[in-house]
Amino acid sequence: MKRSEFVRFLKNGLFFILIASLVLNLVGFQQQTLAATNIKVIRHTDSWPAYIDPAVGSDYASSISICNMYDSLVFPNPDGSVKPWLAKSWVISANALTYTFTLVPGVKFHNGDTLTAADVVFSLQRLMTIGEGYGYLFTSSVKAAKALGTYKVQFTLKQPFGPFLGALVRLYILDKKQVMAHLRTGTYGAFKDYGKGWLVTHDAGSGPYKVKTMKTAESLLMEKFNGYWAGWANKDAPQYAEEIGTTEAVTVRTLISRGALEITDQWQTEENLAAMAKLPNTKLCSFFEGSVLNIMLNTKKAPTDDIHFRKALAYCVDYQQIIAKLFPGTRPSTACPRSLPGYDPNLKPYTLDLAKAQAELKQSKYYGKLAKYPFELDWVSEVPAEEKIALMVQANAAKIGIKVNITKVPWLSLIDLLAKPASTPNGSVIFVAAHYAEAGSMLESRYESSSTGTWEQGEWLQNPQIDILIKAALATVDQKKRFQKYYTIQEKIFALCPTLWILEQAIKQDYRSDYVVFPAAEAVKQGKPVNPVMGYNFYYRDFKVFPEKAKQPYTPFTA
Amino acid sequence: MEVKQVKLGSFLLKRFLLSIFVIIGLSIVIFIIARVVPGDPARMALGPRAPEDVVQALRKEMHLDKPLPVEYFYWIKGVVRGDFGQSLVSKRPVAEDIKEFFPATMELAIFAGILMVIFAILLGVLAAQYKNTWIDSLIRMLSYFGIAIPAFVVAIIFMLLFGYYWPILPVLGRLSSGITPPRTITGLLTLDSLIEGNFPAFWDAFKHLILPGVALSLGGLFQEARITRSSMVDNMHKDFLAAERGYGIPEKIVMFKYLLKPSLISTVSIMGLDFASLLSNAFLVELIFNWPGISRYGINAMLHKDLDAISAVIIVFGVVFLVVNIIVDVIVALLDPRIRLGAARDV
Repeated sequence: MKRSEFVRFLKNGLFFILIASLVLNLVGFQQQTLAATNIKVIRHTDSWPAYIDPAVGSDYASSISICNMYDSLVFPNPDGSVKPWLAKSWVISANALTYTFTLVPGVKFHNGDTLTAADVVFSLQRLMTIGEGYGYLFTSSVKAAKALGTYKVQFTLKQPFGPFLGALVRLYILDKKQVMAHLRTGTYGAFKDYGKGWLVTHDAGSGPYKVKTMKTAESLLMEKFNGYWAGWANKDAPQYAEEIGTTEAVTVRTLISRGALEITDQWQTEENLAAMAKLPNTKLCSFFEGSVLNIMLNTKKAPTDDIHFRKALAYCVDYQQIIAKLFPGTRPSTACPRSLPGYDPNLKPYTLDLAKAQAELKQSKYYGKLAKYPFELDWVSEVPAEEKIALMVQANAAKIGIKVNITKVPWLSLIDLLAKPASTPNGSVIFVAAHYAEAGSMLESRYESSSTGTWEQGEWLQNPQIDILIKAALATVDQKKRFQKYYTIQEKIFALCPTLWILEQAIKQDYRSDYVVFPAAEAVKQGKPVNPVMGYNFYYRDFKVFPEKAKQPYTPFTA
Repeated sequence: MEVKQVKLGSFLLKRFLLSIFVIIGLSIVIFIIARVVPGDPARMALGPRAPEDVVQALRKEMHLDKPLPVEYFYWIKGVVRGDFGQSLVSKRPVAEDIKEFFPATMELAIFAGILMVIFAILLGVLAAQYKNTWIDSLIRMLSYFGIAIPAFVVAIIFMLLFGYYWPILPVLGRLSSGITPPRTITGLLTLDSLIEGNFPAFWDAFKHLILPGVALSLGGLFQEARITRSSMVDNMHKDFLAAERGYGIPEKIVMFKYLLKPSLISTVSIMGLDFASLLSNAFLVELIFNWPGISRYGINAMLHKDLDAISAVIIVFGVVFLVVNIIVDVIVALLDPRIRLGAARDV
């Protein structure tokens, strides 16, 4: 290359760099200018899809969105009880089959329509007909619902259902008129699609927040509803709440690092959470919401059909080591996690005790022929941390002569395997959460015979006595008596040892502590319970945001 | 001239008819594969506690209770009418999802494709022109890096560089919260905002394209730059160029008019394949930049056994591959008369 050509090349290159820098600086400048406002916002990442239709959504992200945009008749308290909400009072019949609610008059939906008993009846019927989301909470218990007046509604149950009031926190009330005005072609007869198509991206609620923009698979932006019937005593509540549909580690870390995110999702790895917690003004918040990591033992298949073999396994797991090394911040559990109202505080979880394990094994019918009966343990390939648990179980079981064969299985395959007792592995490592905030929910979904064949019960317990006890407990309206019955069931299940209850999972999130008051984090700090109902720790009406106090780096929000 | 056009038309018609058979074959294969994956899609969609009658109703609605050929017949009948079924994940018609997510990925792929075309040719020409100099070596080195590093790693590096250390470009989605989106005309935000004259939206959408677009383009770009360079170096000493030079034609014209054109044939062929691959390879880039594209949608559909969505996404990708291949064939034919005449002879 000639010298003159080289100089020309260099000049052109420099010119290009100059122009590029100018453009990029302009870009940066414009961004700063646009964002020079202090809007109160909570930006939170979570998994997608977020189903904002109350008859469809029931996962974590959906529950957060729904509880912020819709109201229910009762509102969950942190201690597991409920308080009057849309229903200002109620009467329960002597046989506990009829619940009559009187509604708060004059409650307005986001579009200005008045909420009446007809909307409540419509919402329940819609939920039960569609059968998705939280519909199962009512399909088995509710017989009929009717409006007794503009503000009076009555539910008739098929049989007494003790936790009915608690379950009602999942009956979100939609504006019938608005839904009916947006029906599309569908399979529900006169109700066409029951508004499902429209409600994918719109809301018809009366909650403290309403949909501003819904970018499918990208983000949901909710805006404060100024006409909220319960008022805005909290003047520092966020004006906007944005649910960002990503849990990608690098994206979440970048967002919180540049101050463009107030709270991370709970799906980050321990390493990522710890790294983010080291960022300036960022803290880690950890609380319990009733989810347990189990190794479900197939009680219908050798060698886990033997109670002594199961107990031997239970005594040879190093729970403390798993908690300390793999899942810091979690805690031991039994059939019901401690965060669920109705758990038995007298039960002491199994601990590592190889002598006891050996003694139990000797009583097993498989003792002496263990080589012929290896313990098949499947873990879900999408959750790599489970492999470490499986390996720890394998190592400890080997000490008492139990051979553990570990298999990595995709989640979809494991669901298929769990459909039949013969194909269900001896052990399946699976997380399970309660459907509503009470021990009865966990007991029913985990150990009642109706849940066999689903991924919630790999134990195939099918114990008639347990079934009867669960049904009887759920039919008990008096909470104290119901909880006593739960204790009995938990003790019986504990004695049968159908599960290795590895730990109670902690919900962990990093958040900006310099300008955000996160109620759940505050409760944890003060040693108070957090709300046990999934989603309600993100009830944004209770949050406080002070963008003016935000330290750098901070990316203000533009609406 | 007219004869040539007729021949090219026949060639295109033949390719089009062949493509229909390929799509039908693809639809059968993907339909079967999607159903072989373990898991009951209806139960998965409705959750473990959904009442059995509701699950059965969904199975019936999706024709899952019918034998596979009958199921396929119902599905293909719907597809012909533009009805790809209902997504179990997004809970809306798959056609609606495709309409929303496909343009997002197309916009990304087109932007990455434009970068690929411009910079691959530029770098290729530059490397060939300054063969065996430090410029050539630099481009070669960059190419090795560009080809070897996967797009998602580049995306992560960009995310850290421009999202954290030098936060000058947006790293999330297609449009900032404060910007009013343009009316959907093509679904390509940059184009729609230009048509509407909504310049703030155009500028914002363009900025959102930069990081994922560049990350996606680099692999193909450097690969094509290397191919362009090799072809040009191969052709550089051909007799016809010596003749052009002998006529005293300036080197620049020789370079761009007489050398580049025949050298581009192999580049264009690879470019076509690379462009089509951009759509399916965009998954991780879309995931990192939270880009609501069809690639991410497709992977999500597979993870949730969203049968109709899986089939629809594969069909769409298949169609894009075929269309791009036909376009590439036409461009190559236009670049090289020998191929054009050969194709015409085949017809």
